[in-house]
Amino acid sequence: MMRFWRQREFSTAAILLAEIIFFAWYLWPDGDRSHPFLNRNNFLLILKYSSIYGIATIGAAVVIISGGVDLAPGAVIGLTTVVMGYLFVEAGWPLWAAGSAALLVGVATGLLSSWLIIRVKLPPFIATLGVMGILRGAGFIITQARFYDLSAKLPRNWHVAGVSIDWLGPAVMVAAAIVFQRLMTGYQWGRNVQAVGGNEMAALFSGVPVGLIKSSAYVLSGVLAAASGVVLAVVQGQGKADLATGYELDIIASAVVGGASLVGGRGSVAGAVLGALIFGVLRNALPQISGATFYDRLIVGVVVIGIVVMDQVLTRRGSTA
Amino acid sequence: MASLDFIDVRKSFGAVQALRGVSFRVESGETHAVVGENGAGKSTLLKILAGITRPDAGSVKLAEQVFDHASPREALAGGIGMVFQERLAFPNLSVAANIFAGREITRAGGRLDHGAMRARTRELLNELRVPVGPDDPMEHVSAANAQLVQVARALAFDCRVLVLDEPTTSLTDAEVDHLFRILLELKARGVTILFVSHRLPEVFRLCERITVMRDGGHAGTFVTNETTPDAIVRAMVGREPPVRLSRPAVDPSAPPVLSVRNLSRGHKFHDVSLDVRPGEIVGVFGLVGSGRTELLETLFGIAQPTQGAVHLRGQPLVLRSARDASRAGIALVPEDRQRLGLHFNLNIRHNLSLAAAARTGLGRIDTRAEIRASEEMARSLALRMPSLRHEPDALSGGNQQKCVAGKWLTTSPVVLLLDEPTKGVDVGAKFEIHNLIRARAAEGMACLVVSSDLPEVLALADRILVMREGRLRGELPGTTATEENVMALATHDEAVGA
Repeated sequence: MMRFWRQREFSTAAILLAEIIFFAWYLWPDGDRSHPFLNRNNFLLILKYSSIYGIATIGAAVVIISGGVDLAPGAVIGLTTVVMGYLFVEAGWPLWAAGSAALLVGVATGLLSSWLIIRVKLPPFIATLGVMGILRGAGFIITQARFYDLSAKLPRNWHVAGVSIDWLGPAVMVAAAIVFQRLMTGYQWGRNVQAVGGNEMAALFSGVPVGLIKSSAYVLSGVLAAASGVVLAVVQGQGKADLATGYELDIIASAVVGGASLVGGRGSVAGAVLGALIFGVLRNALPQISGATFYDRLIVGVVVIGIVVMDQVLTRRGSTA
Repeated sequence: MASLDFIDVRKSFGAVQALRGVSFRVESGETHAVVGENGAGKSTLLKILAGITRPDAGSVKLAEQVFDHASPREALAGGIGMVFQERLAFPNLSVAANIFAGREITRAGGRLDHGAMRARTRELLNELRVPVGPDDPMEHVSAANAQLVQVARALAFDCRVLVLDEPTTSLTDAEVDHLFRILLELKARGVTILFVSHRLPEVFRLCERITVMRDGGHAGTFVTNETTPDAIVRAMVGREPPVRLSRPAVDPSAPPVLSVRNLSRGHKFHDVSLDVRPGEIVGVFGLVGSGRTELLETLFGIAQPTQGAVHLRGQPLVLRSARDASRAGIALVPEDRQRLGLHFNLNIRHNLSLAAAARTGLGRIDTRAEIRASEEMARSLALRMPSLRHEPDALSGGNQQKCVAGKWLTTSPVVLLLDEPTKGVDVGAKFEIHNLIRARAAEGMACLVVSSDLPEVLALADRILVMREGRLRGELPGTTATEENVMALATHDEAVGA
């Protein structure tokens, strides 16, 4: 168990903690005003919005570990909010049925990507870039520049079993992180994902069902991105074709900051979720710093590079010691 | 004209001393061999010479001048040409572009002078009698010609010392002859040749002196005419070379485990029929291009036959994937362990358990059972490693090969297919791998060993099948086969025996 703390997830968690301490210090209020960053409501806010990225990042990390890349999650999130909106608001389906249908959209997306990659033999970057365009386009065609207002049909200040619906995203994220971290480290499926990502030919020659493993990764990425979309539609109360535009890059960056290697074979689900939280804190805290408004994208870019460089330096030192 | 001196060269990687004070001299215009087991320090020495790494202490002198080159570019400019086992770096570029990569001929203003490069390439290729054109894409050039293109690249930069690292591994005999003729011509022009090889017969044929390295040190330099291959092998390992061990006779009437009838696959191989009985080691000898690897891959389900039938324990067998083969109890230890055998992102334990676990499905891994099984396997393989938690790049070539074999032995296969099981492996590990195969055969496993290493086939196989140009050309009993009659079948003779 001691070895766990020397693993990559620990350093990602340490970065997250350092980041929280930094902003707590930097944004410390004058006098006896309440702390704008370090308070319960703000943390719920961070978790609520990070979970939209975090849930999808789990799937993206699995795809990256399997040696691929998925550019579709942002578009999947956008389209699922639209599908949710259409079925729930226009067609009058119950919420659970609309949500399930939206998840099926995620499954279909994953199947389409893996068909293009495994059967048509397109490079994952191109295949998922195309799928991203198709999905985004489908969203616009369905909505015709309108948007669906789910909030009007959802209960105001909605609580389920005494818990605010705001906790839906964080709960899904944590549950999925625990399940998939276990599957990746303690189950043959996860081992096979790593084997395919580390050396696809050797995996094939070892009797690993390479095609099945790869498509399971893309289907998972599709489903989890759809789950993000469902959460976003419920929490934000909106179904809109251009939601989550550009999220795919933040999602991939989260996975990479969390230790995933874009050449495949290495990475962790827990690390990816921590990576999503690192960005969530940044997105929350930077706007509170006066004058930082125009700098926040730049800072995010520098942080991505900085964390990955730091990791390389640390692992290099670790391997020669 | 240039001599080369290594003076007390030392190099460590972390705690590992790769070179512990190596000193020897290569005379100007000499053909000089460097031999040694894997891990003896040859590769590190070559890397220092090529400017890829720098020594911690000691120096290299080129033509009596201290040669302190910090990069491959400076090494090349200083007149050291390297020919590596692997193909050139740019399969997507033309032959001419490969030859001049990094030092292109340019006109004023930096524009590439394609004409001049093409002309110079044509000149060099003619000189080396390589039947390729300057505009041919490198990826379409055969392995043998690719090697000669590397020689041409070295010559294009006026190399004074030509270093060849295992250049003959994937060449046929005729191609080796051609390469050696060229090297002797270069020697006549005064080029110093440093030849690194596992193949002692070639070393004896080509080189005037032989330097033996052992455990990062210099074990001696011998004048070829005054020594013997046995003496060199003794200097390399300090023990006698492997000999054929007596093996229990296999009952020729026992029903075969694996039975192949009239198997063909496209242009790769035709009409192959063979049987392997339980406990039997059948050797398939064939040179590169004879179809032997393709045959094994077909028996392992990687590719499908176009004709013919395979029976396993009397049952017809149709394999659509390696997974099918693995589940049926067939294992393949592939030739290229780096590319097809090992996962460098997984630790040794995970590598060892991959095939067995891939067979069982996608369920939960019993970590304790996995640790127990892999520890046991590592022990029975005598795997020399820092720990099971290390990744396979911490292993020497021989131990990597044992690791790949171990991955399959954990599945307790009925049929064990081995493709060049000791390629690029040192003498000691080779002996261990041979014993491993013998031990498994003694337990009743049916082993089919494909090899282009003649002494290996002779030392190991109960029966030797010889393959040439996609067909089996004959069968010889292992006890009475000689190098001459196997080689005759592999190169020209029509079937005897069988």
